[in-house]
Amino acid sequence: MSQPVIDLLVETFGLKPEQLTPDATLQSLGLDSLSIVEFMFEIEDRYKIKLPDAPEMPATLGEMLALIEPLLPESARKPEGADTGAS
Amino acid sequence: MRRVAVTGWGVISPAGNGADTFFANLLAARSGLAIMDVNHYVNPDQIVAGRVAFDATEHFTRMQLITMDPTAQFAVVAAREALAQAGLADAQARGEAIDPDRFGIAIGTGMGGSGSVDAAYTFMFEGRAPRARPMTVVLGMNNGITAQLGLAFGLRGPSTTVSNACASAATAIGDAVRSIRHGYADAMLVGGSEALLNRGTIKAWQAMQTLAKPHPDGAEASCRPFSADRSGLVLAEGAGVLVLEAWEVAQRRGATILAELAGFGSSTDAHHLTQPHAPGQARAMRLALADAGLQPQDIGYLNAHGTATEVGDVVESEAIALAFGDAAGQLAVSSTKALHGHTLGAAGAIELIASLMALRSKQLPPTAFLDTPDPRCTLDYIPHTARPAPGLRAIMSNSFAFGGSNAVLVAKEACA
Repeated sequence: MSQPVIDLLVETFGLKPEQLTPDATLQSLGLDSLSIVEFMFEIEDRYKIKLPDAPEMPATLGEMLALIEPLLPESARKPEGADTGAS
Repeated sequence: MRRVAVTGWGVISPAGNGADTFFANLLAARSGLAIMDVNHYVNPDQIVAGRVAFDATEHFTRMQLITMDPTAQFAVVAAREALAQAGLADAQARGEAIDPDRFGIAIGTGMGGSGSVDAAYTFMFEGRAPRARPMTVVLGMNNGITAQLGLAFGLRGPSTTVSNACASAATAIGDAVRSIRHGYADAMLVGGSEALLNRGTIKAWQAMQTLAKPHPDGAEASCRPFSADRSGLVLAEGAGVLVLEAWEVAQRRGATILAELAGFGSSTDAHHLTQPHAPGQARAMRLALADAGLQPQDIGYLNAHGTATEVGDVVESEAIALAFGDAAGQLAVSSTKALHGHTLGAAGAIELIASLMALRSKQLPPTAFLDTPDPRCTLDYIPHTARPAPGLRAIMSNSFAFGGSNAVLVAKEACA
């Protein structure tokens, strides 16, 4: 999972990093549809990208990241430590 | 018709947070007003303002704050204090004491979520994003405050949000009194909240030419109600929230009844959009007295609207003389706005709490900075220092708004 996106979820919503697994439902994280749109807008503004209009709201964190990650710049796609060789 | 008991109150204000701190500062004439930088990119400026010391992250999670304008934040924190004082802090105990379906909400606000709207529009029109934030509507809507109170405390009774400019909170409280009297609710969380110190709103107020200039003695002394050298009002933010209950409900659950909210008077000037009018104001005061079953001489303290505008203070003094007749000569009047500024839609609640605390403590808060009264303002304004009032049995709180909306509340000592 993209570490910058995970960091932004923690920063925006005050979520704990250990909650943020790909199969965590957005509902279980306390995110309703407005919060999800708010977050997608934040991603668009931050990375100057345009996310596609999804036919359905993502249900899990993994599904949401699948919409976001392909459009992120290379540097923002990597998981933590992936570019340092440390992990 | 049922009597209405006040059982709790809470304050967030420029003169202090928490009712006890707030009232102690009023009695000591400690002003919470200061210079505020308005970092407007077109026209950097300074005004005198009443800002609250408030760190939202101490009270709410980041998830909660995404949907809460500062008006809602202030109101919820003030409501926590009010419910705790009423012995209703615990959600389960609250639900057992008062049916949540019969516990309502009535809140006043003038500009509502203007800060959130201002921020969203700035973001858009400065070209930082082509669209507004998704939360803009729910942050900006005036009833966001009321909605957040309902969510925070699980209150499901009647709900209303009043926007009556500077009379918003007093009107909301008066309407809530009627809801309880006539049996539509057993308890009501009432008050007002305002958080208007954002650039667009400040610029709009500056354009009206009604804001006070910084006083040579210091910015904190810039709001000078009834004074010959007053120069205008000082915009301020804050919230006041009270718990009202049907008398028998409060008695049955053994609550401490702090006062009886006994009278409400409401009138419209139909005279001028912004100029106040003594006959309309006097009518609201008379209606409130009659509603409470009191005579003018029964009122021992009147918390004036007293915004420190050129016209407003003179007209209100005339209106008090009209409504009180001979009793006006013995009436103690003060405007606490000198110390906390004009909180607009919250003023009626914050100032009612100040008046009720005066009633409880038998101490009258002064009109600060009143060195030389305007010769046209001839009442006893309690200049400079607090005054003991051992015989105080009833109070009045005035709120008069742009648009000619007048709302007056009267409260009595709690006597079974």
